[in-house]
Amino acid sequence: MNHRILGALRSPITFSVLAGVLIGALFLVGTGADPVSAYDAVLTGSLGADGIGSTLSTGTSVLGMALALAIPLRAGLINLGGDGQMVLGGITAAVTGLYSPLPAPLTVVLALLAGMAAGAAYAVLAALCENHLGVPLLVSSLLLSYPAVSLASYLARYPLKDPGSSLPQTRALPDGVALPAFGDSTVTVGLVLVVLAAAAYWFTDRRTAFGYEIRMTGLNARFAAYAGVERQGLTLKLMSVSGALAGLVGAVGVLSFPYRFVDGSLTAPGYTWTGLTAALLAFAAPLGTVIASFFFAVLQVGGLAMERTTEVPRELTQVLQAVVIVFLAARLRFPSRWFDRHKEAV
Amino acid sequence: MTPPQADTDGVAVELRGITKRFPGTLANDSVDLTVRRGEIHALMGENGAGKSTLMSVLYGMERADAGSIRIDGREVSFASPSDAMAAGLGMVHQSFKLFDSLTVAENVVYAAEPRRFGLVDRAAARRRVRELAEEHGLAVDPDARVGELPVGLRQRVEILKLLHRGARTLILDEPTAVLTPAEADALFAVLKSLASQGRSVVLVTHKLREVLAGSDNVTVLRDGRVVARLVTAQTSAEEIAAAMTGRAVELDRIHAPGTPGDVVLDVSGLSTDAVHDVELAVRAGEIVGIAGVAGNGQSELVEALAGLRPVTAGRVSLKSQDITHASATERRAKGLAYVPEDRHAVGTAPAASVADNLAMGHHRTSLSSRGLLPPAAVRAHARRLVERFGIKASTPEVPASALSGGNLQKLLIGRELAHDAPLLLVEQPTRGVDIGAIQNIHDQLIAYRDAGHAVLLVSAELSEIRGLADRVLVMYEGRVTASYTKDEADERILGLAMAGAPAPVEAVD
Amino acid sequence: MFFDSDLLMSALRALTPILLAALGGAICERAGVFNIGLEGMMLLGCFTSVATSWFTGSPWLGVLAAALAAAAYSLILAVGAVTLRGDAVVLGIAMNLLAVGLTSFLLRTVFGVQGTFDDPSLAGLPLVGGFTPLAYLAWLAVAVAAVLLSRHVWGLRLRGVGEAPDAAATLGVSPAKYKYAAVLVSGVLCGLAGAQLALGNVTLFSENMTAGRGWIAVVAVMLGRAAPVGVLLAALLFGLAEAAGFRLQGLGLPQQATDAAPYVVTLGALFLTTARRRRTRPSPGAAS
Repeated sequence: MNHRILGALRSPITFSVLAGVLIGALFLVGTGADPVSAYDAVLTGSLGADGIGSTLSTGTSVLGMALALAIPLRAGLINLGGDGQMVLGGITAAVTGLYSPLPAPLTVVLALLAGMAAGAAYAVLAALCENHLGVPLLVSSLLLSYPAVSLASYLARYPLKDPGSSLPQTRALPDGVALPAFGDSTVTVGLVLVVLAAAAYWFTDRRTAFGYEIRMTGLNARFAAYAGVERQGLTLKLMSVSGALAGLVGAVGVLSFPYRFVDGSLTAPGYTWTGLTAALLAFAAPLGTVIASFFFAVLQVGGLAMERTTEVPRELTQVLQAVVIVFLAARLRFPSRWFDRHKEAV
Repeated sequence: MTPPQADTDGVAVELRGITKRFPGTLANDSVDLTVRRGEIHALMGENGAGKSTLMSVLYGMERADAGSIRIDGREVSFASPSDAMAAGLGMVHQSFKLFDSLTVAENVVYAAEPRRFGLVDRAAARRRVRELAEEHGLAVDPDARVGELPVGLRQRVEILKLLHRGARTLILDEPTAVLTPAEADALFAVLKSLASQGRSVVLVTHKLREVLAGSDNVTVLRDGRVVARLVTAQTSAEEIAAAMTGRAVELDRIHAPGTPGDVVLDVSGLSTDAVHDVELAVRAGEIVGIAGVAGNGQSELVEALAGLRPVTAGRVSLKSQDITHASATERRAKGLAYVPEDRHAVGTAPAASVADNLAMGHHRTSLSSRGLLPPAAVRAHARRLVERFGIKASTPEVPASALSGGNLQKLLIGRELAHDAPLLLVEQPTRGVDIGAIQNIHDQLIAYRDAGHAVLLVSAELSEIRGLADRVLVMYEGRVTASYTKDEADERILGLAMAGAPAPVEAVD
Repeated sequence: MFFDSDLLMSALRALTPILLAALGGAICERAGVFNIGLEGMMLLGCFTSVATSWFTGSPWLGVLAAALAAAAYSLILAVGAVTLRGDAVVLGIAMNLLAVGLTSFLLRTVFGVQGTFDDPSLAGLPLVGGFTPLAYLAWLAVAVAAVLLSRHVWGLRLRGVGEAPDAAATLGVSPAKYKYAAVLVSGVLCGLAGAQLALGNVTLFSENMTAGRGWIAVVAVMLGRAAPVGVLLAALLFGLAEAAGFRLQGLGLPQQATDAAPYVVTLGALFLTTARRRRTRPSPGAAS
């Protein structure tokens, strides 16, 4: 056990996070701010009574996207089309919410399912490009993302536009077509849904034959194929789950305040990239992904607080995030001849 | 027994007291080796005897812990292969170091290019290749892409590369492993002509036949030490073999034949990439060996049988069930296990734990129920197999990459044997494995056969095929061209058949 | 008249940044380094060129600074992937993210604005015959890269290193040296691409202004099979799509349709070429 803790401390993950924090401090000093008070502002701003709600609602989207990207990543597949899948999920949920004839609670469920289906279908399209047309998933998923974002933007600006507003947004969803929130916070049932998804992922990864096949494919795809794991089928399954989760994040976004699809509001906060960063940091391991997502949600929300108190732009947190992954990708670690394989360090 | 010290003029390479230690092993223990000009010197020994380490030291790839190297009488110290090359050495590695997409001429002149204004002078490069080829009888088209050449010609390119750099001593590491006997004969003719011009050749090999036919002197290593220096003309295969193994000559341990039962695998008219119209049958309680020079379709055949390569024509049945187009998973479910050739890239996931590696293939059958795979079951299964097959691993949680080559192979073979499948496909079960593990693996395969299973064995080692197989098929250019019983299959007959000229012993059935 | 010389001119203008970045990507590819950090290196070039031009008044110093800054930035990939043997794909993604964060952060700390920095007194690159000098440089770079790669001693060695680093090393050619050089050259070219985008195509800096062009360049490398002339043709295809998109916008199509056009065209081209390649060369089987 002691050995394990020591190992976790020496792992590249610890090194990368500390290096990121340190480089962030250098930036802060460079802009004339006091790193201690800045980081303090990050923590109190995100974990204090005023910030925790915001952290959890941001965390909902970050964790959702992190899971969406971690699940294929566990098998070595990189889905860079999260934006497109999420936005399609959002716009589909908005359309469903606006036009469903069902009673409000059922409409909410239907909108969530429709959003997930849309995201899944679009992600499957990228998988088909790899399986049947030979375009690498990395490239096909990313290139498909741009037209999807453009399509949603077009729909929000023209056919579905709210006539009573100058903003590029759809009409507000009917009364009651919304995810229940906890108290008067912005935290919704969406958080419960993504946490359930994380639990399901953990269970699949650790306790099922399918999860075992995913892990082995990620560690050596030819080994898995030799033993009969069909890569194309696996790619389709994982991408559909991935797209469904991205679609869910989009739908949850639309079914939360301000209860409509606003062009750019889903993509602007960079949930896809933050989620990818979290998934990479955790080597796509389930528990690690949850922890990394929370960490990045803290950074993102705390960044705003830091900007308020120290006038250092919140973009610094984005720099910090990326620095962590740069160090991690280079596999830097504290000097030791400890392990050379990924292991869930938590 | 030190080599004569006079006449250093005639000595091309002299190694004295070379000692090289790796963690846990003494790879070279005060080794002396003298190679004279104009000599073909064979360096022999079994896997792990220290041949490769010695040559790595000579070629500047490893530094010796002690000892000296003299080239042409001058003491040298190489920090890299380039230093060795500059001193007139040149090495043809067992796995060729060539650029497949470049032409022959580009490969030959690479990093020693004739230039005009900084550009590669292609005409001069071509000319140079033609000249060298003509001079040494190594004809090859300078404009051909190396990746499209057959193995024998690729080896010529390697030799031309060294000659272009003015190598006076050539080191060839297992040069005939991939050649047909006829190609090997041609290679030896070239080597003899090079030696007659005053060049020296060091031949690293474990094949007795070619050493006897082609070398002047033999140095034998065992356990990192020189155990014999012999003059080829005055020695015999038995003497060399005894020196290599350190025991009385038992050149090929031939196991007792099995007792074949019903047909388990029945293949008729099978074709796939690089395989044409193959007929074969393997019965329960029988090992059928497939001999052949590497690259004659054996791997493709086995992959097609395992369901990893689509069958374009023909029929495959396993215990009378048609599996021609079944997936790999379906085949395994119907009773097939498979030990692939490349244990690192295909047979295991080195980064995964020993336990996870041992679970593969069992994870949907014995270890799981209704899709669940309890970690406790995976661990228990791993402990059982580690124990049963003598796999040396501290715990089942360590990554498979921490195992030695022999132990990794035991893991792989143990995992597949544990399926208790009626049919086992095995490719190169003992490649790069130390002697102790080889014995163990051979015994396991025989025991598996004797338990009434069918085994299809593909091996490049004739001694392995002859020792284990009850029947031997020979593959040549994608076809099964000959079939022999255990008694008929001697080295000469198999060698001829592997070269595409089977001796008429028995018609193919 | 839909296809006319104006369209071609605007296609050629749209082409330049992609072409420069894609050439860099192609050289890396040939040296065996998968470089998907083109987008980030370009974006960094955009910002550096604008900032330097703004503070010095010289767009030329801006170009120089962009090339140097992006080259320095490319060292992340070189050190990470070559020396430390990290994952080039993850490094590339991280570099792209870092560039977005870093340039947005600097935009706010240096210029005190958010979103876009745009000032009439920001000096852009002059036009010569309708194109910036960088455009001519890009076409020249295609020719130079083509000759270097196919005929020069360096090119031969680089290709060897990319194909079989072991083999090159046994012949005394250091793979690391060539890989570093390739990555640094790609950094310089991406820096120039960024300068062209921010001081040539437009004269401003806005957050994430590369908007996927670096990714298009990655695809252009694939389409053009990492050969300079092939990459030129692929980049031209993209330039035409972008120019045609603008034209269609003029004809009343919504902006979103034209925004999406280059990506759809690129993807389509990728389908066609890979489909054709697959037909002519059968896939190597399930085990590969």
